[in-house]
Formats: sequence, structure tokens, C-alpha cells
Amino acid sequence: MRRLIVLAASTAVAVTAFAGSAAAQDPVTLRVLVHQNPPFVGFMESFNDQFEASHPDIKVDMAVVNANELMTSTQTRLMANDVDVIDIFAFSNAAQPYMQNTDPPGWQSLIDAGLLMDLTDQPFVANYDPASIADAGTYNDKVYQINLGRVGFSGIYYNKDLLAENGIDLPTTWSELVAACETLTSAGVPCMTAGGGDGWPIFVGAYGLLGADFPDQEALVEGLWTGTIKYTDPEWLDLLGKYQVYSRDMMEPGASALPGDGAPGRFASGAVAMFPGGTWYGPAIEGLEPAFDWGYIPFPGSDDPANNQYMFGKYDQGWAIAETSSKKDAALTYLSDFSEPANYQAFVDAVGPIPTQPGATLETKIGQELAPYLENFRLGFELLWTPPKGAGQFAAPPLVNMFQPFGTFDDPQAAAEQAQADLDSGLSAIQ
Amino acid sequence: MSYHFGTGPRAKSWPYLMLAPAVILYLVLALGPSIATSFFSATDATGLPGLPIHFVGLENYREFLTLGARAQENINAIFRTLVFCIAVTTIQFTLGLFVALLLNQGLRGTRFFRTLFFLPVILGVTIQGLMWTLFLYPLGGPLQTFLNLFGMESLFLGGQPAEAFAWVIVVQIWSNLGFTMVIFLAGLQTIPEEVYEAARIDGASRWQAFKSVTWPLLTPAVNTNLVLTIIGSLQAWQLFLVLTGYRPGTQVMGYLVYAEAFGRTTGSTTVNSFRQGYGAAAAIILFLIVLAIGITTQFFLRRREARLTG
Repeated sequence: MRRLIVLAASTAVAVTAFAGSAAAQDPVTLRVLVHQNPPFVGFMESFNDQFEASHPDIKVDMAVVNANELMTSTQTRLMANDVDVIDIFAFSNAAQPYMQNTDPPGWQSLIDAGLLMDLTDQPFVANYDPASIADAGTYNDKVYQINLGRVGFSGIYYNKDLLAENGIDLPTTWSELVAACETLTSAGVPCMTAGGGDGWPIFVGAYGLLGADFPDQEALVEGLWTGTIKYTDPEWLDLLGKYQVYSRDMMEPGASALPGDGAPGRFASGAVAMFPGGTWYGPAIEGLEPAFDWGYIPFPGSDDPANNQYMFGKYDQGWAIAETSSKKDAALTYLSDFSEPANYQAFVDAVGPIPTQPGATLETKIGQELAPYLENFRLGFELLWTPPKGAGQFAAPPLVNMFQPFGTFDDPQAAAEQAQADLDSGLSAIQ
Repeated sequence: MSYHFGTGPRAKSWPYLMLAPAVILYLVLALGPSIATSFFSATDATGLPGLPIHFVGLENYREFLTLGARAQENINAIFRTLVFCIAVTTIQFTLGLFVALLLNQGLRGTRFFRTLFFLPVILGVTIQGLMWTLFLYPLGGPLQTFLNLFGMESLFLGGQPAEAFAWVIVVQIWSNLGFTMVIFLAGLQTIPEEVYEAARIDGASRWQAFKSVTWPLLTPAVNTNLVLTIIGSLQAWQLFLVLTGYRPGTQVMGYLVYAEAFGRTTGSTTVNSFRQGYGAAAAIILFLIVLAIGITTQFFLRRREARLTG
């Protein structure tokens, strides 16, 4: 009996000691939330492996959500204190002095609620271009986000072989683009595609058309808000006519229902000649068909080539840390490692944004295509516009989704009147 | 029927004690959040902890129902919800009854078809949405390929609101038809065979037997199915999220509540704002609509039941 007791006691001691040592070695689990973008997710998976190998005491639990759902997931997971590091789209859309009766953007509400950590004094912030920190990460003189790069969203990918086979020179004006699409369509080659099923992808090329007609987009936003620019003006009617041609005649049948992730693959397969899309699609196209010969130019939306030289875009994703996180040290280590120049360069190589670290270079194919237009890079309408409360759904450009087959309109004049009425109803509601 | 809990002085309190867990669960999980939603609908709550909440009275309701073109779009969403409810209820109820009557004939393969019709019910909304998105895929999807054989094409879920809306109705019916069918089948199996036999002896045709025997005796199943389908279709939103997202001209009230509360009303990935107070007001408006229609339906169904059962 005594032997049995000794055995039981020593077993208990051994189990306790083992459990204790296991507990001591339990890694901290860092919860990271990112949006779905295959090259980015692929890079993050390899970065996480590397990070876990360098920091055995930290385990990364990364969740991936659709870009459309990122802000909703961020909100709910912050409320549940269920996230530590957040991938958040860049700060934008703060109301201008001439704007009234608007809702604050989501990122501003997160900071006002004290849900994002102040990163101002973190050493890794200094790795980034001060302008990007000021423009896309600072609020009330404090830094809440490190921005990982800018992207262009007003360009168009083109298939060099398909254009050459059909005897088409690269279009540099709107008229040339219309003629090129007519030639392609009559030869049985769909001119363009877009992931219209996700809604927003059809806006991407349309921002190029908008930028070609209104290169000063800040003035456009102010003009629409103050009433000096109206959708029923001749210039806008001309633009709406182009939108109609773009959505009805240039897009292939079915593009309005094609899922967003399917469009770059369809272009890479060689099935269509052109694909209006953001620069973030470049690595995906390159990854799908490395030998595919493609190019990228600003959307030739104007008949004056001088107006087609601008690339409009935005500060894209960035990293923030939840103020409520109990693992701030691990989260800061994560961002610090990510911000190391070599790791950041690897991120740029994989994902392809225009870098926000001064020493990083964009050596990818999309980087080379984009290089000639970086001098003329401008922030696009999407980041500048904030709607007044009560405005209808067609109050803000690009309005391309009004036209068939993406919408129900087939007359630019009727579309202009509807859009102006939708905007006026919000502006007139201001008390 | 009565239950005995003993004869001691505490006997009267036993029923209440035994009911207490269920009542507490109901208060905490159902009634509490409902009351909180009513409260939040009169505030500017964002849903974010840490931000002050201000009482704004009926401002959210005023904005939802009267402010600018957005209010007209909201009212259109209310009408669209009613159209969705009427279409889904009518078709799902009729088809469910028809399928149940067929499967109640004792024909060969009944079990297989019963399982087949019920299968969609056990799939989640995401799976249902994914299946139909693939089925309706515009470039080489099964249905598009079939239509192309006849020189036809359709954009299905893309662009045209009326067409996308019609497809959501189809998917809603497909996904819930099995449930309606099962309730009808359960009802049909409670009708004694002797009643049909008596009807046949009296010379009743199949239609007369259905009209005078099956239909009246199926009243509890009819009532249950109608109420569940009406309320379920009025509250539908997940299929709209999965199949169409926030598209002009397709929103119903259930989806609008989600979109408003979680800043999903712009179609942009960067323009978001959190307005849970406003979303709560939309939820209360939907609740009042469901309540009004639910009570009216119950009133007429009970009156009918009383008339039929004497």
C-alpha cells in the first residue's frame, strides 16, 4: 500500500511539473486580422512562419476576411477584445470645412472610442516616409497606423499580344480606345472585363475616366458640395455618355456578375484584351501566368492626351494595434519585424504597392509599368468624398453603376438628373 | 390536464421555480436585447465601446423615413420586403403542400425524394449562396451554358435589380421548401385513413376529399407554415448579403438593418461609418412591420381554425 501511495505521489508530482513546464512554454497567441488579397495573404503566411521561428514565444493566429467585410469584422472583434493587430484601410474621407451633416468615417470613430493604440513613439514608425505617416496614419497629432503603401486605381491592364494580333496600337485617347474596342469586338475578342459581381470593381476603371475629365478631384468634390458643379452640366453629361459606352459597349457580357476575384484570372487567361483595375491586381496576374505579356497605363479617358497622364489612387492598407489588447508587446514586436527594411521589401515584392518606406523599391512588373506615372500620382475621388446625410445612392461619382448592364439607366440625361436629385436631397437636408 | 406538485405549503411555488430557467433565458437572450434595441434606436450609438452615447429622440426614425432621397430608398426597401414576403409565402406554401401531398401517396422512392427536398434546409446560408452563385456564373456556368444552347443569355445576379431580386426569391424558396414540406407531411400523417375511407364510401372524388377532408384537417400545419414563412421572409437578409451585397434596387429591410448598422451602405471598402443607433431604428421599424403582419395573420388564421373546428 505504501508503495502504491509513493507511486501515486511521484506520478502527481511529475504530472504537475510537466504541466507547469508546458504552461511556462505556452506561446502568446497574437490575433491578426487581414483582408483577402491572395498575394498579400500568401506573403503574410510566409512572414508569420518566419516570425514564429524568430519568436518561439509568440504564435500568430491570422484571420482573413473579404475586403468588403473588413471594417465590420474589425468593429465586432474590437468590441469582443478578440484581435490584437488589425489590417485597416488608410485614413481618408475626413469631412472638409465646407461639408456639413456628415457621419464620421469608421477609422475616426475607432480612434475617438480609444480602440486603437497610439504608435507615435514607436521606433519602427521612423522607417516610413513622414508624408505617408502624416497623410494616412495621423489623427489629432498622434500616429495610429503605419501605412504600407499607395496603390493606383485608375489604370487599365492590356494584353500586348491580343492588341498586336488585331493590328491595334496602344490607345492614348478616348476615341482611340473606343475604336480599339470596336475592332476587338468585331473580331470576336471581348474588349474588357471587370469583377462587377462584387459591386465596387466596376468603379475602378471609371475613376480613370473621371480623373481624365476632372484631374483636380479636390476641386470636383468641393464643386459638387457647394453646387458650382452639377451632374447636369455639359461636361458631366459628356462624361456620363462615356460611362455608358464603357459599361454597355466595352465590357464583355457577364462582367456585371463576375466575382471580383475572378476578373484578374480571366484577363490573365488571355480571354479579354483589357482589364481596368487597380495596381494591386498586378502580382496576382503575374503569379497566375508568369509568361503573359501585359502592360498597364492610365485610363485614356480624354481626347486630350495631356489629361490622360495622371494616375489616381489612394493610400491602401496599414497596420494598427488594438488599444484593448493584452499582448501589446508581442503586437509591437510583430509590427517592428514587419517594418524591418528587408521584410518590408519582401512585402512590396510580393504585393506590389508603391512603397512608403524611402529605401524600398518597386521592382515588380507592375512597378515598372507604373514608374513613368508616379510623378503624376494623385489622391483619387474615393478618398476625398464624404456624402451628406440623406443623399440618395447615386449622389457620388463615379456613377458608372447606373448604366446597363450594371444598372438600369440607358440615357445619360436621365442618369444626370437622378444623380443630381440624389445629391440635392442630401444637401438640402442640411440644417 | 393538470399536474400535481404535492400538497405541502410550497407546492404552489414549484411550477414557477421550474419555469424560472426558461423565463430567465428568455429575458436575458430575447427580451433584454429587444428592449436594448428600442433604447439604442433613440440614440446616436455607434456600437463602439468608449464613445459617448447621446439621446436623440425620434431623430433616427425621422431620418430613416423622411430625410432626402435616402428615405425614399428606405421606403422602397419596405415595399420590396412586402413583395418578397408575398412571393415567397405564396410559392413556398403552395409548392410545399403539393410536394407533401405527392410524397404522402406511399409511392416508390418517397424516402429518397423526401431527403432530397429537405437537403437544402441543412445547408448553411453561405453554402446555399455559393452553390447558386456558381450555378448562375455568367461566364460558362451551368445555367448560362444551357441558355446559350438556345441563343439566350442572362445576367442573373449582376446589374439588373429586378432579375437579381427574382433569383433571391427562387433561392429562398429552394432553401426552405423542405421545411414547409415536412410540416405538411407531419400534418397529413395525422389524418386517419378511416376518414378518407368514409369519404370514398360517400362517393367523394379526389378533389372533394382534399377540399372537405385534407384541407380542414390540415389546419394546424397550414397555420404553422403560414406564420413561419411570413415571418421568416419578412426578416430575410443573409441570402441578400451572400448573393447580391449592397446593390441599388435589391435591398430589403432585413438587409438594410445590417448594412446601416455596420456601415455597409456605400459599396466602397474605404467609406464606412458606424451607425448602430440608426440601424436599431431600422430594426424597430422592421419589428413593427413583422408584428403588425404577424398579429393580423394570427387573428385570421385562428378565426378560420375556430370556424372549421366548430
